[in-house]
Amino acid sequence: MKKIFEIAKWEFIEKVKTKTFIISLILTPAVLILFSLAPTLLTEQEVSQTKVIGVVDTSGLYAKDLREELNKYKLDNIQLCYLLINLTTKNTPLDQLKKNADKDVLDEKVEGYLLIQNGGTDSVTIDYRNKSSGNLKDLKRFEIAFNDTRIKLKLNQEKVDPELLSFISKSAEVNPIKIEQSGKESKSNFLITFFSSFIFIMLLMMMILYTGGMLIRSLVEEKSNRLIEIIISSCTSNELLTGKILGLSALGLTQIIIWFLIGISLVSSTIVPIEIFAHIPVILIYFILGFIFYTSMFVGIGSIVTSEQEAQQITTYLSFLLILPIIFVLPALENPHAGYIKILSYIPLTLPSFMMLRLNISPVPISEIFITIIIMLLSIYVVIIFSAKIFRIGILSYGKRPSLKELIQWIKEK
Amino acid sequence: MLSVENLRKEYKNIVAVDNISFKVEEGRIFGILGPNGAGKTTTLRTVLNIIKPTSGTITFNNQPITNEFLNTIGYLPEERGLYKRSKVIDVILYFAGLKKMLRNSALSEAKSWLKKLGIEQYTNNRIEELSKGNQQKVQFIISVIHNPRLLILDEPFTGFDPINQTLIKETVLSFVTDGKIIILSTHQMETAEKLCSDILLINKGVELYQGSLTKLKTSFGTNTVKIEFDGDAEFLNTLTEVKNMDRYSNFVEVQLKDNIDPSEFLRMIVDKINIKSFSVLEPTLNKIFIDVIEQSHTKQV
Repeated sequence: MKKIFEIAKWEFIEKVKTKTFIISLILTPAVLILFSLAPTLLTEQEVSQTKVIGVVDTSGLYAKDLREELNKYKLDNIQLCYLLINLTTKNTPLDQLKKNADKDVLDEKVEGYLLIQNGGTDSVTIDYRNKSSGNLKDLKRFEIAFNDTRIKLKLNQEKVDPELLSFISKSAEVNPIKIEQSGKESKSNFLITFFSSFIFIMLLMMMILYTGGMLIRSLVEEKSNRLIEIIISSCTSNELLTGKILGLSALGLTQIIIWFLIGISLVSSTIVPIEIFAHIPVILIYFILGFIFYTSMFVGIGSIVTSEQEAQQITTYLSFLLILPIIFVLPALENPHAGYIKILSYIPLTLPSFMMLRLNISPVPISEIFITIIIMLLSIYVVIIFSAKIFRIGILSYGKRPSLKELIQWIKEK
Repeated sequence: MLSVENLRKEYKNIVAVDNISFKVEEGRIFGILGPNGAGKTTTLRTVLNIIKPTSGTITFNNQPITNEFLNTIGYLPEERGLYKRSKVIDVILYFAGLKKMLRNSALSEAKSWLKKLGIEQYTNNRIEELSKGNQQKVQFIISVIHNPRLLILDEPFTGFDPINQTLIKETVLSFVTDGKIIILSTHQMETAEKLCSDILLINKGVELYQGSLTKLKTSFGTNTVKIEFDGDAEFLNTLTEVKNMDRYSNFVEVQLKDNIDPSEFLRMIVDKINIKSFSVLEPTLNKIFIDVIEQSHTKQV
């Protein structure tokens, strides 16, 4: 036991002091803050300039009212958001008008222009023609403004009471509310769900990448300068393996605690929305289990790696497995109960990150949480046993990397 | 007493060590000699419990080697290297801790060893800031700090300058009076000649010779004399007593026939040539080493 403690202490203290660790400790929360702030910043940031928008309306019915509707949107300094100019000239064919207006857009005289066709008929169409595919927010506003204009126009024609008019134009919006298991409800926000899953998965990946890389590098060093022989002539390989895993887990835990404190201070200063930390206790369990799982695996892999380049390759491939869920965030949001997401959240390699994702999207039954934690614990046990067997022989074989066949033989060997 | 009996280690298709047995008593330095790939390191590793032998037993004072016993072994591997980024004192204390030394005694031992080897000014430096020779001294300290009963040194002197070689040699010799068991593996025949009382010569995992050095030298004595002279020594070749002769610029090495006594031979030639010096050559371990290994190769062919 004393030896395991000595090894764990050494691994911990020597690595805590390294630059890599200190950088990762600071850099990772920096990334976290960036990603947490991104949704807030992106949604709140307004353009500070008035946009010049053209209108081509051969029917001549909408341009004036549309301008009034859009004048409702103001920038902070009471400046208009949109300045509407009519690009319609009489007695010019539509094709020519379009050509001229397009040219104005390309010459940047206008931001874009609204093309209203078949005005006055039931099959009226409106296009917003501009250089990019269009700002979603602008499009939404144009749509509301145009529809309001159109309804008002029609109702005026039918001589309807103006009060009824204002009632009709006030439509209700559907607010998405996520029902949690405990009965509490929270405003579901796509961006927050996305980024909270994203942050934890990224954190896990970065941590595994950093510590895993450090672990493999130190093993390669110990192997290449035969320090491993001195160590192994002082303790058993199992003591060494346990000590290393314990030391690195302590290192990981230190990192988590520091990050957690940073997270709490960010929440309390309301820089980061509290929703990001909604499922923190369960997420932490998956986080720690995932970290131990991968660390144990890295110890086994590290013992057969012969060079640092090889080590880097392997850590990179493994971390791809961890970021896999990020690709699945969008489809998972649309259909949280998709079969493949469930399957991936039961495979030990992807389990931690997919469970973090699922927890953020929709309530996961307690039974599933329970089962996945058991799966994780069992696979950690199996990985440690396999790693220990490979480790025992791997750390003392130099030169060529063993083939898969040899590895299986090592595992079988008593 | 360390006793190795019928040690055999097989890898997939190779027999690395084949039926090696030896005993080392307290206060003796036992040399294991052999060319590269002879099985020296494999033998040492089985003694160190790093690898398990296929068959054979290793005992210490008739007790099998246990994990506890590992705490009384000191090992200096052939390839040198330490945690480069760590401090000298931290590295020493870590390895002392792995030998279950208490921190306080480890610290005072470490300081006295650093002083003894003249590197106490580097106590708080990082390993990478030390010269190669000084790094090796640190590694030497690691192998001896816990006062081991069995000390295994694999090529301990390579990389040291002559002054430090002497320093380390003297330290190793002082362990002999302490009653430690020392196993030395080396290619440097000169070192082995100076330090080892008994040697084991192995090649391709097989024992070629084991015993005291003096005995080995007598049995490999080739009855050769070295003569420094003035004049023409060509006539020596025509003498019937001469088996073989190597000529150099101002001396010759003459191998006599087995029944010829060197002093008799001197009497025969003393009038014919102006002799400046005459000596009977003892075969160097180096020569024996090469001869024995060549013999074993031809035997196999």
